[in-house]
Amino acid sequence: MENFHSVCFSFSIFACICLRMKADKKMLKGWVRQQNRANRPATMILALIGMLNVLVGMILIWSLASILARLLTGGQGLDFRYLGLFILASVLRVLLGYAQELLAVASGEKARKRLRRELLDRFFAQGPSLLRHQHSAYLASMLTDRVEALEGYFSRWMPASALWVVAQWSVVLVVFWQNHRAGLILGGCCLFLPVFQAVFGIATAVASRRQILALNRLQVRFLDRIRGIATIVLSGNAEKDAQALGHAADELRQRTMKVLRVAFLTSASTDIAMIVALVWIVIDQRHGLLHVGSVPQTTAILFAVLMVPEAFAPFRALSAAYQDRAQITNSGEAIQKLPALPVSQGIKTATHQSVPQRSDRGIELNVRDISYRWVEDRPLALADVSFHLKAGDIALLTGLSGAGKSTLIEMLLGFIRPLQGEVLLGGADLQGLKPADVTRQISWIGQKPVIFAGTLRDNIMFAAPEASEAQLRAALEASSITDYLPLLPDGLDTQLGERGFGLSGGQAQRIAIARAFLKDAPLLIMDEPTAHLDPATEKDILVALRRLLDGRTALISTHSPQFHNIGETVRLVMEKGRITAQETLS
Amino acid sequence: MTQLRPLWNVWKARWARLLIGLLLAELSVCSVFLLMGQTGSRLGLIAVGAAAAFGILRFAGAARIILRYLERLATHDATFRVLADIRLWFYRRLAHGAAAGLGFRRSGDLLSRLVLDVQSLDSLYLRILVPLATALLSLPIVILVCLKGSVLLAICVGVIFCLTAFVLPAFMAKLSYRWGPELQRTQAEMNNQALDLVGGMRELRIFGQEEAATKRFLDAESAFYTAQRQQGRAMAHIHALSLLLTRLGVICALGGCAGLFFPKEQAVVGITVLFVVMTALDNVVDLPRAGLLFGQVRHAAERVAEATVVPEGTPDEGTLPVPAGSEIEVRNVTFGWTAERTVLKNINFRLREGERAALIGPSGAGKSSLAALLLKVVSPQEGEIILGGEDIADISTEALRSRVAWLSQASHLFDDTIRSNLLLGREHLSDEAMWVALEQAQIADFVRSLPDGLDSWIGENGSHISGGQGRRIALARVLLSDAPVLILDEPGTGLDVETERAFLDTLNSLDRSRTILLITHRLTGVEQLDHLWMLQDGVLKSHAL
Repeated sequence: MENFHSVCFSFSIFACICLRMKADKKMLKGWVRQQNRANRPATMILALIGMLNVLVGMILIWSLASILARLLTGGQGLDFRYLGLFILASVLRVLLGYAQELLAVASGEKARKRLRRELLDRFFAQGPSLLRHQHSAYLASMLTDRVEALEGYFSRWMPASALWVVAQWSVVLVVFWQNHRAGLILGGCCLFLPVFQAVFGIATAVASRRQILALNRLQVRFLDRIRGIATIVLSGNAEKDAQALGHAADELRQRTMKVLRVAFLTSASTDIAMIVALVWIVIDQRHGLLHVGSVPQTTAILFAVLMVPEAFAPFRALSAAYQDRAQITNSGEAIQKLPALPVSQGIKTATHQSVPQRSDRGIELNVRDISYRWVEDRPLALADVSFHLKAGDIALLTGLSGAGKSTLIEMLLGFIRPLQGEVLLGGADLQGLKPADVTRQISWIGQKPVIFAGTLRDNIMFAAPEASEAQLRAALEASSITDYLPLLPDGLDTQLGERGFGLSGGQAQRIAIARAFLKDAPLLIMDEPTAHLDPATEKDILVALRRLLDGRTALISTHSPQFHNIGETVRLVMEKGRITAQETLS
Repeated sequence: MTQLRPLWNVWKARWARLLIGLLLAELSVCSVFLLMGQTGSRLGLIAVGAAAAFGILRFAGAARIILRYLERLATHDATFRVLADIRLWFYRRLAHGAAAGLGFRRSGDLLSRLVLDVQSLDSLYLRILVPLATALLSLPIVILVCLKGSVLLAICVGVIFCLTAFVLPAFMAKLSYRWGPELQRTQAEMNNQALDLVGGMRELRIFGQEEAATKRFLDAESAFYTAQRQQGRAMAHIHALSLLLTRLGVICALGGCAGLFFPKEQAVVGITVLFVVMTALDNVVDLPRAGLLFGQVRHAAERVAEATVVPEGTPDEGTLPVPAGSEIEVRNVTFGWTAERTVLKNINFRLREGERAALIGPSGAGKSSLAALLLKVVSPQEGEIILGGEDIADISTEALRSRVAWLSQASHLFDDTIRSNLLLGREHLSDEAMWVALEQAQIADFVRSLPDGLDSWIGENGSHISGGQGRRIALARVLLSDAPVLILDEPGTGLDVETERAFLDTLNSLDRSRTILLITHRLTGVEQLDHLWMLQDGVLKSHAL
């Protein structure tokens, strides 16, 4: 589709003028500019080599023209100095092209690496609450595919766009210097290029943008259909849907071709400009040659003609890279759409002075009047929530989904900061602590633990890499992983994760429990730890959980009735962001 | 090249258009040769002071412009047609073969890769075949023109041309084909690490492992880039080599002009030959890139071909129309996904019209396998399943699936409006029917509250709505079908207890014309059942209610 995109390129120059920019477009532009700035040194070096290449090309063509002129004007044989120069320039040009290509590969790689790190920083700055708004697969593809798609933008488009005007007009100037008439013709044709594009470009710019959008949409639709193909097939509608897909594609083709018929006129304009320049110069030079047989004059004519393709080459390179340019807009838009979390008022800077105090029975947790909202203009997700847990307290938190339980948990984990109020952990304000000092005090078990690609041992040990083999064994015992360990093909060294051994929900949850044992933090927070388990498995898990609760403060959010005899001392009920019932049991 | 055969068959249907595109491309190349040859000879004539006519030159210039325009139109039109054909072909092949089974496996990522593979097949015509075919045609023209100079020159230029246009690209294709798996592997590893890093952000933060995981991800990145760099460098080497070769070709032609190494030509002939040789070689200098692409396309074609193979054990399409009755009888059914492991052992049950049954059991007990059997995704190793008196093996598959509707966790919500998600291609349904179904699924109020109602867009896999709302829309879709049998596979997943209860309660209110088989790992207590079956270790036991 290279041609198609290169056509669209020519529109884009004028499309910018025609289309009013919206606010988010402006932000996108700012982001793109920032990317360009960060990559400027590499771009400049590449453009410089490109310029050298053009200059060497001039020498090459001049020596070729000189050789030919001597041969054509008869008598004089081959001048070996020019042949030597020609060969030297040829080799130099190959070397420059080689260097340019290697550097482009390296700079594309460097730019992608930089962008990836920038994204990583942004992800980590936002923290795990990002996952509330975005699917992890989507975020991961942003780190991988979206960044990879930008390779051409940095290695091809940027240098080409920095180079083309200078390169084109320096060729025109040199031709003018050698042969005024030819230089004027070539310059005229080069000027004609943007004029021609303005005429056809503006008319089709808007339409072609829509075509690209429609093409993308069809692509997305196809992917979506394929992802859900089982649903369609199993509902017995596959053939009908295939026909609908076919119709949509055909309709798009017809509309696209209608636009392309005009759009290709724009790319034909490059051909026209070049061919007119070539033919015109050849025909015109008939009059230019005053003395037949004059070597310098013949050289100048040949030089001018041979330089014509060179004058248009930079522009062609630019249009060939147009599809790369489109990618930065796609990726940039996706990155701009990353949600920005609200900033809490009066952030206290970490003082690192207070240290959470833990006891043998756990740690004290004091939540005072905290409020939070995820999005401006929306109701508070947490409104003046207060409760107090003594060391060793076990609190059950219940409430409908959407009541704010998960928000509360994320706040206790330090993923988000309260807009108002404070959370005191072991007497120390959470906001005055370094994130690492907060998480050191807390273990967390969610609905489904993430099992990383790696062995079972890696998956448990990552909770405490410095733990001894004995501690690991103890954690395996306490979490009852030892029950299913013999069933695994390679025991502790069994590969888990996406392409590894598939664990059942209960087996995976035991890994989360083992992690918590190994970490041995005084505060334990659980978010629906048995939501995905059948009752029998849930019962087994509860045995291990009870062991884990011993000597710790715990907050457990759950719907399961089985938790109601786990030894809880406090019951909290949430509704619409508020604690509506609070009960302390003896 | 056998991997490309199915693709070839898709192309065959469009042979005329593809051929016209090729022909125009060939003519367009001929016009370039004419143009450059004329430029050379006219310049030569001017220089030696002879009279020169410029008619052919003007003609060649105009022809080039027009032919290039037509070529672009023709090749793009053909490409768009083939592009749609390939997608439809892939869709139909997948639909007839592997697709049904995919509902029982998690495979989203695999499918996205496949779509990318299908997409990369697009370049075969426009970026590989057309340039290669024009190069093939250029060869005899170049040789003929060179023969005007000398045989030796024709041989030398011919060899150089073949090396640049065919040998180097073939070599590059081979290299890129060989490195394909390594690139694919390292990229997959990087993607996996990215998924771990992002998906596991909570765990990593809580256990203080963010740095270690970041390092693993960046290591995977650098392994991928090492593989990529290897290919990039090879491409740069080969490109430099082909540039050198073309320069060598020009020097040969120059030698012909000057009588150096080659027999001396007449000046005007010499310069004409030189211009044609330069043009021809310039046209093929980028072909190694097409070679690189071809290596990648071969891998893509292999994967696509593999995916479209109908998996073993897929039941035959039956021929019988659906029977009137909808009583289900499962007789002595034994089944396993692989020969070694039997999931279901000698299962027997009968589900009469309008009855409600629940099938419970721990995960992995084979509950979903039973759903797969009822939907004819797989066939039992032993025993038979009877629907309304006919063995489902004999009933046409698509017809069977219109009688048995299925809702599972894997039911996909399409990135489309609520309306088209409910319709799924069925056109004869009225808005009223849709509202009734939405009402039954207890989501009508929510849909009504949306500004665009039924025409609201629900986003990629329902990302604009909550999980519970998505499940309800999927349920409404199932209710909307006139299938007399509903199989609901873990409908409560992702719902909180209250929502799940309300959801199951709606099933009680459905009229008794429908048979319902509820597959779940636990009961909530609101279900009103006629049968309760327990499935454990592959054995089905009936429980008292």
